[in-house]
Amino acid sequence: MIGIADVSWTYPHADVPSLQGFDLHVKTGECVVVCGASGSGKSTALRLMNGLVPHFHDEGVLTGTVTVDGIDTATAQLDDLGALSGTVLQHPRRQFFADTAAEEIAFAMENLGFPPETIRTRVAAALAGLAEVVPLDQSLQRLSGGQQQQVAIAAATAHRPRILLLDEPSANLSADAVDRLAATLARLKEDGVTIVVAEHRLRYLEDLADRIVVMAEGTIDTEWSAADFRAVTDADLSREGLRGHVSAAVLPPLPVAGASAAAPVPAGRVRSGGLELEGILCRLGGRTVLDLDRVAFPASTVTAVRGVNGAGKTTLARIVTGLQRSTGTVRLDGKQLSRRARQRASAIVMQDVQRQLFTDTIASEIDLAGTDTTEAIDTAAVLDALDLAHLTERHPLSLSGGQQQRLVIAAVRVAGRRIVVFDEPSSGVDRRHLQSISDQIRQVAATGAVVLLISHDEDLLSLAADQQLTLTPPEARKNAAGLGPTRQEAAR
Amino acid sequence: MRPDNVEVRTAEHTSGGHGDAALAVSTGARKPARGNLEEGGVAPTRRPGLDPRTKIVLVVLCSAVVMGSGGLRFVPAVLVLGTTLAVWERSWVRAVGLPAVAVALWVLGWVLPLWWPNLLTATTAIACAYLIRFAAAIGLGMHLIATTSPTLLAAGLRAWRVPRAVSVTLAVMLRVFPVVASESAAVLDAMRLRGLVGARGLARHPVLGIERFTVPMIAASLRATEDLSAATILRGLGSHRRPTAMVPPRFGVPDLILAVAVAILAAAAVWMPQVLA
Repeated sequence: MIGIADVSWTYPHADVPSLQGFDLHVKTGECVVVCGASGSGKSTALRLMNGLVPHFHDEGVLTGTVTVDGIDTATAQLDDLGALSGTVLQHPRRQFFADTAAEEIAFAMENLGFPPETIRTRVAAALAGLAEVVPLDQSLQRLSGGQQQQVAIAAATAHRPRILLLDEPSANLSADAVDRLAATLARLKEDGVTIVVAEHRLRYLEDLADRIVVMAEGTIDTEWSAADFRAVTDADLSREGLRGHVSAAVLPPLPVAGASAAAPVPAGRVRSGGLELEGILCRLGGRTVLDLDRVAFPASTVTAVRGVNGAGKTTLARIVTGLQRSTGTVRLDGKQLSRRARQRASAIVMQDVQRQLFTDTIASEIDLAGTDTTEAIDTAAVLDALDLAHLTERHPLSLSGGQQQRLVIAAVRVAGRRIVVFDEPSSGVDRRHLQSISDQIRQVAATGAVVLLISHDEDLLSLAADQQLTLTPPEARKNAAGLGPTRQEAAR
Repeated sequence: MRPDNVEVRTAEHTSGGHGDAALAVSTGARKPARGNLEEGGVAPTRRPGLDPRTKIVLVVLCSAVVMGSGGLRFVPAVLVLGTTLAVWERSWVRAVGLPAVAVALWVLGWVLPLWWPNLLTATTAIACAYLIRFAAAIGLGMHLIATTSPTLLAAGLRAWRVPRAVSVTLAVMLRVFPVVASESAAVLDAMRLRGLVGARGLARHPVLGIERFTVPMIAASLRATEDLSAATILRGLGSHRRPTAMVPPRFGVPDLILAVAVAILAAAAVWMPQVLA
C-alpha cells in the first residue's frame, strides 16, 4: 500500500536532511507505529505518505521514491492523495475548516464530490458516534482539546480513505479518550484501513500495531514485530527515549468544595493559606463551566489539575490568573486580589509558547521579564539551568519548540511570579524531555510559587505533581445528583 | 447505536469499488442513521436561517444603496433590517449595539449642530453623515459573517457558478479571520500577564507596543494557518474536482419573508418623510 524506498528529504532552508536513506513498506490493512525522539523525523515520515512532502514545501530536496496505492506521490495531485488517505495533524484545532462538527465531517466528502445523500448519511452516523463525548451544537473552536481530537478523527475517516495517518493522536487526550481512540482505530483496522501512527506513547497501541518502527536521525533505527514489542520492557523503551506503559499517576487529593469538584468535601474541611478561591462561579455562553465553593492551593507545591475534557480546567487557570471574570473572591496569603492584581502576580506557560515571545533576542526577552521585579534574581544562573545560556543572541522564534518553552519558563522565573500555570507543557514530548520539563516545574515551585499543572500526561503528573484537584463538568454533576434532567431526558 | 455504524462500514468494504460503495452505504444505512438523528436531535438535512446567497445580495444591495448619492434616505430602513436580523440570530450585543451606535451618531450629527452650531459640530455632522451609512452597512455585514460558515459561503457561491478562484479565496478568508482573532486574543492574554498591555506603556513606546503584539500574533497565526492550509488542500479544497454540498443551498420561507420585508422598508423609505436629511 505504501512504499518508501531510499528517501532523503531536506526541508527548505534547513541545513541537515530530516530523512536520510529512509525505507519503509506498509502492507494493505497493516497498522504501523512510527516512533522516536522529538526531531527524529517521524512527523516528516507521515508527511511523505500524504504527499505534503514534497508538494507543500517548495524548494525542499527529495530523493528516492514514494508510492501510495501504486501512485508516485511526487507527480500526483495532493487532492488525489488526500482522497486515498485521511490525515489527523498534531493540533486538531488548527486543521478545522468548518464551525460545526457536522460541516467539518462533511468537508472532505463535499470537496471530493460525494453525492449529498451519502454525505448526509455518513455525517449522521459519525455524529451519532460522537454525541456521547462532544457537545455537537458547540462551535468546534470552543471544544476542549480532546473533544476536538475526536471530531478531527471522525472528519478524517468520513470519506472512507484506505489509509489513515495520525500524528501523535493521544497527545491531548485524557485516559478514557485514549481508550476510545484505541477502539476507533481497532474498528478501522478491522475494516481493512491501513493505519500509520506517529506516537510517543506506545502501550495503548500494543494490541493494534503489527509493527513498531523506531526512528533516529531521519532513518529507521530499530524495528519490532508485534510479538517482539510485547517482549520489550519499558526500561528498554526508555533507553530509546520512548514512553511505554502509562501508569495512572497516584496523587493525594486536594480538599475542595463545590459542584465542579469530582469528590467534594464540606467547605469547612478545606484548609486555608496559599492561594484561596471562594464562591467562584463562572458562566460562559449560558452554561456553568466552573463552580467552586472553596479551595486552597498551597505555595511551593505543584497541584495537578485533572478532569475530563470540558471539566473547566482552562477556565480555572484563566480565573486564577485574572484573565477571566467570575463571581467570588481570590486571596493570596490572606490578601484579596483583584483581577488586575492577579494578572500582575501570575504567569501561564501556554501550550503554544510562540504566542508569548515578544522581543527579538533571548537576552532582551529576559530583560523585559525582569523589568518590574523587586527582588534580584540571578538571570545568568536561570538561563544556564535551562540550557539557554549559549543562545542569548538568538531570535526566540528561531528556537525549537522545546527551547521556546524553556525560554518562557526562564522569563517566568526571572519575573518572580507567585502564581504559575503550566498548560499541557508535555504535549508531544518524548521521555528524555519529560524529565527536564518536570525538573523545571519543580524548580518554579521551589521558588515559593503556587503552581498549577494542567495535563493529561500521567507520566508528567507522576514526576512533577505533589497533589491533585480533579474537576468534573458542574452541570453533569447536578444531573447525576438528581438536581436536573438527565442527558436522555434533556434530549427528549 | 454503535452496531449500526459498524455494519455500515463493513457493508462498504465488502462491496469493492469506491463509487458503488458510497451508494450501498447510503441506501443500507439510511434507516439506522435517521433513528440516531432523532435520538441525538441533530439533523444536518435542513439549515435554519437565510440562504447564503440571499445574505450576500442583501449586503451588496444595501451597501450600494446606502453609500450611493441620496443614500441617507435608506439608512433607517437598513438599520431596522440589521437590528431585526441581530434579534432573530439572538446576537443581543449587536441587537442593542447597532441602534445605540446609530442613535449616538444621529445625536452628534443632527441634533447637536442645531442646538450648538459652530465649526466643530458642523465638521462632526459631515463625518457622522458618512459614519451612520457605514454603521448601517457594517451591521448587515456582521450578520452575514456571523451566520455564514466558510463551507456555506462556498456552497452558495458555487451555486451561482462563481469561479473557483473567487469562491475558495472568500471562503478561506472567512475561515482565517477567526484564527487571527483567536491568536490575537491569546497574545493579548500573554501580554496582560507580562504587564505589557496598558495605555501608559503604549503612549511611551507606541512602536514597541505594536511590535510586541504583532510579531507573536503573526508568528502564531502563520503557524496555525500552515496546518489549516495543509489539511484543507489534502481534503480537496480548490482541486479540479466538482464539489457537492451536504445540504445544497435552497431558497426557503425565511428568504421570502425577508424579500417582502425589504420591499416594504424600501417603499417606506421612498414615500415616508425623510428622518435623516
